[in-house]
Amino acid sequence: MAALTAVHCGPRGNIMAAPRQRVASWGRWFCTATAPRPWRLFGAMCLLRLPRITQPLEKEEEEMAALMEQIELEKSHYSDHEIRKLEEEEQLRRRKESTYDDDEAPGKTVIMAQDLEDKWEQKLLQFEAAPRITDADKNNIRTSLDRRLDSNLMLLVKQKIGNQELWLLPQVEWQPGETLRSTAERAMATFLGDRIQAKILGNAPYGIYKYKFPRAIRTEGNVGAKVFFFKAFLQSSDLSQAELKEDYLWVTKDELGDYLKSEYLKKVNRFLLDL
Amino acid sequence: MLAAAVRASRGLCGVWAAPGGARLSSWLPQMVPFRGSHWQTSLLAFRASLPVRAQPKKKKKVDVKREQAQKDRMKKKIKKLEKAAPEMIPIEDFITPLKYSDSNRVRSLVPLSFEETERRVLLLKKWCLFKQKQDNAEKKAIQSLVEAQQEALKELRLESEELYQAAIRRDEGLFPFERDGPNYTPPLPGYDPPEGKCVDITKVYTQ
Repeated sequence: MAALTAVHCGPRGNIMAAPRQRVASWGRWFCTATAPRPWRLFGAMCLLRLPRITQPLEKEEEEMAALMEQIELEKSHYSDHEIRKLEEEEQLRRRKESTYDDDEAPGKTVIMAQDLEDKWEQKLLQFEAAPRITDADKNNIRTSLDRRLDSNLMLLVKQKIGNQELWLLPQVEWQPGETLRSTAERAMATFLGDRIQAKILGNAPYGIYKYKFPRAIRTEGNVGAKVFFFKAFLQSSDLSQAELKEDYLWVTKDELGDYLKSEYLKKVNRFLLDL
Repeated sequence: MLAAAVRASRGLCGVWAAPGGARLSSWLPQMVPFRGSHWQTSLLAFRASLPVRAQPKKKKKVDVKREQAQKDRMKKKIKKLEKAAPEMIPIEDFITPLKYSDSNRVRSLVPLSFEETERRVLLLKKWCLFKQKQDNAEKKAIQSLVEAQQEALKELRLESEELYQAAIRRDEGLFPFERDGPNYTPPLPGYDPPEGKCVDITKVYTQ
């Protein structure tokens, strides 16, 4: 429609489509698309919390790891510690079988390699690591960041679009004078506060979701909206700031289907790597 | 009479000399040529020559020549050293220390049974297939990522050229990108690591 006419009339690339707020002073191009663009622009931010622990190995991976260890052991030579252990075992055996080693002072305390190994084993057992499956996992608290430490978590917020309350990636309308990336940053700041530390991956959008408004609202100059998605990695691990909207969730890719509409979900899934 | 007068005057002079202290030049009846030091050749002239030390004087020109010759020799040596090809830095990983080639180091192993070798071969084949599937899935995911981005950029271009140009611009702050990789367990809150110092003993070679 309006987009197609713009393509036909603009021979030079740089004046192909004037942004919607600019009054069309380029009358000499004889474009019919002099009216402001009918699409409203939104910038949305897909904020990812990267995994903190490694994923569990699959069956083939575990088998292969075991095989690799075995082969490595077979191809290796004895280390100093192992040689010491073997010699001491030899000595012990000889002492048990015959009694000619009694001229050694029995009061001499020698630390055997086996004793060292036992000591190290004890030390390891005393150490308790943090659990890989946290409490948040067990209770399925979807608002906490400590859940599912081995996969990506992304932020979903409940926003009012039209007269519906929907779960969406945080988005905010584009205002003239800023780039789409700064729109996405503003969206993040509105929902999470100013102090959030996130690394946005580049200036270019990762995906787009285009939709037309329902016929009741649609006008000539307001056909629909285009939502551009940007990706960012969460750097700071604690969000002690109170979130402005209470309805927020941190979900993984497979749980997105519980919340997002199907069309939206399809577009979002395209730019999310499976983890 | 005269002799008596002379004796008297001498005596008188003698009497005078005792309390005054010995000032030779004041009471001598006639001027005797007197030199302040043996360096003065004539009494009335000033000191004509500077005092000369005992050893012979060093000539400056010989010194300068010697020093220059020394410098040239040093420069020649330096040039020779620089011309020689730089020494190769040994790669320590490739050199097996001699103590590990002893025969007592060789492990005594039980020879593998037929079933074990079979199992290993089959496992390797399964692994090959698994990795191939994984790799293909990754490539597909990356392709879909790129396609989605291209579509988004196309739509953006239709919307506004300046936003598109701003989107294509390179992000300078993106690289270098650093991240601490995932560990096996999450960090333990309030963990006190044991104290110790790490001393780096790697050998550094310079060419």
